[in-house]
Amino acid sequence: MTALPPPPQPTASPLPPPVLAPAATVSALPALTGMIAVNDVSKFFGSVVAVSDVRFAIDGGVTALLGPNGAGKSTLFRMMCGLTPASRGTVRVLGADPRTDRDVRGRIALVPQQDALFDHLDAHGMVLIAAQTHGVDDPEGTARWALEQVDLTDVGDKPVGKFSKGMRQRVKVASALVNDPDVLILDEPLTGLDPVQRRRMIALFHRLGDAGRCVLVSSHVLDEVARLGSRVLVIAQGRLVATGDYRDLRALMDDRPLRIRLAVSDPRRMAAALVERGLATAVSVEAERLTLDTLDADALGRTVAPLAIELGVRLTEVSPLDDDLESVFRYLVEGR
Amino acid sequence: MTTVEPIDRPSSRPTRRTVPDGRAIALAYRVVLRQLTSVGRIVALTLLALVSTIAGFALGAADADLDAAVRLISGLGFAVIVPVVALVFGGAAIGDLREDKTLVYLWLRPVNRWPLVVGAYLAALTLSAPITLIPLVTAAILTGTGGGIVSATLIAGVVALLAYNAVFTLLGIWLRRFIVWGLAYILIWEGFIALGGAGVARFAIRKYTRSILVDRTGVDLDLADFSMTTSIVVPLVVAVGAVAIGSWRLARQDVD
Repeated sequence: MTALPPPPQPTASPLPPPVLAPAATVSALPALTGMIAVNDVSKFFGSVVAVSDVRFAIDGGVTALLGPNGAGKSTLFRMMCGLTPASRGTVRVLGADPRTDRDVRGRIALVPQQDALFDHLDAHGMVLIAAQTHGVDDPEGTARWALEQVDLTDVGDKPVGKFSKGMRQRVKVASALVNDPDVLILDEPLTGLDPVQRRRMIALFHRLGDAGRCVLVSSHVLDEVARLGSRVLVIAQGRLVATGDYRDLRALMDDRPLRIRLAVSDPRRMAAALVERGLATAVSVEAERLTLDTLDADALGRTVAPLAIELGVRLTEVSPLDDDLESVFRYLVEGR
Repeated sequence: MTTVEPIDRPSSRPTRRTVPDGRAIALAYRVVLRQLTSVGRIVALTLLALVSTIAGFALGAADADLDAAVRLISGLGFAVIVPVVALVFGGAAIGDLREDKTLVYLWLRPVNRWPLVVGAYLAALTLSAPITLIPLVTAAILTGTGGGIVSATLIAGVVALLAYNAVFTLLGIWLRRFIVWGLAYILIWEGFIALGGAGVARFAIRKYTRSILVDRTGVDLDLADFSMTTSIVVPLVVAVGAVAIGSWRLARQDVD
């Protein structure tokens, strides 16, 4: 995992709190190239900085854009699709400006985060409109093919307005496939899908990535990112805070203290035993609950159940309190 | 740059292409027409327009003169019904797509912008024309004051619809609260300020429709002294200009 902003660091490490880099410093860097090239891009909405000096380039394959809600993921995606201009910096998709280049818009597909569809249309009608407005050959056949990819061939003529959230997501993904895009940008596409559909959708993304498509998927759920791909961009507070391999991110997480809650019949005894074994750096006890900080979650996980048996205490719950993305971002951005 | 290979589609990978403008107009027209067609909206606006028909019938039953009939058509039909109906459909043509965030499905496509605006404009015209013209022309007939008012109502109605729909389509592209601004234009600008003098009145579409009524019927209405040619050409130029500006604006629009 490589921490940002420049200069890039060779190993994973948390960043200091973000500081807006002066434009002159940033623009001195050479322009990045790739299927998607984002060079020193900022976006302001009035006095609000939604995206700040973001710089990266990606090529074919699946890349995950990871960030908590409100981090600037959707704004970044909108700029990549030309839906809104960058306030500063340049966005190039397939070497062109997606906001002004009509041809490149035919090679991009977006699955927007918002749950908006032409609700009066059925699934086939919705995807057919997408195919027709992309000017593809055989729009009818293409629409059927796209619906097959997301398992929506047998939904009849029910309007998409009456679909479940997961089905609507699949309609959006099918609509994004019709032009066989070189660049596929998916904003939280797994929201609302059941586990089977998630698995199938992730497999589809990988298949597209393996075929050389540039597939960029955003998520705020860490476990999803683990399955999406090894390449990760991490964005927080509008800034790109880390890029690199997911496994490095995971390792980085493993290095930070984790807070765990145990529900045990004798928390004091359990706490003493864990501290004695060096598995807890801090503990607090309340009724039958023990909250502890650990630097080695894996060892704790292996030890806690046998230890409970050994001590003769009843263990009914082990739950991480901060194994969420926000805590990872806090660690990456603020070092705590 | 990574090599991109075809994925397993039933047919070969489609040729990259842009959508011809005519095809884009037809697609935008179809999508927007269906989006605009809501039963509640059509019923409410038809009932509003039918007020003019009832009033026309009442005038006819009371043997009212041509002057009263023209004032009814001008004061109710062209001051309220036509602009309000055009505002609802014209403003919503692209405004509703922006509001419900479905505009992205037309915007992020290899199409020019002007066909999208023209398609949306035509969809608004398709709905607003029958809802306004049929009741208004029927009202003119029911007044029983002659053929001049009927043809004047028809010509002025077509001109007004073309201009108002274009202006309000532009408003829907540009402003989120297009209904509020549109009503302000209809009620405050056209209904109040533009009546203040000939100079200001030339910036109100209503002046041109009144001039058509005056030209065809001979009835004397205030601030309605343009020739027939001017009364038709200027609103048409306004319509074309509004569509052109709307297309320019749509290309620079932030889309959600």
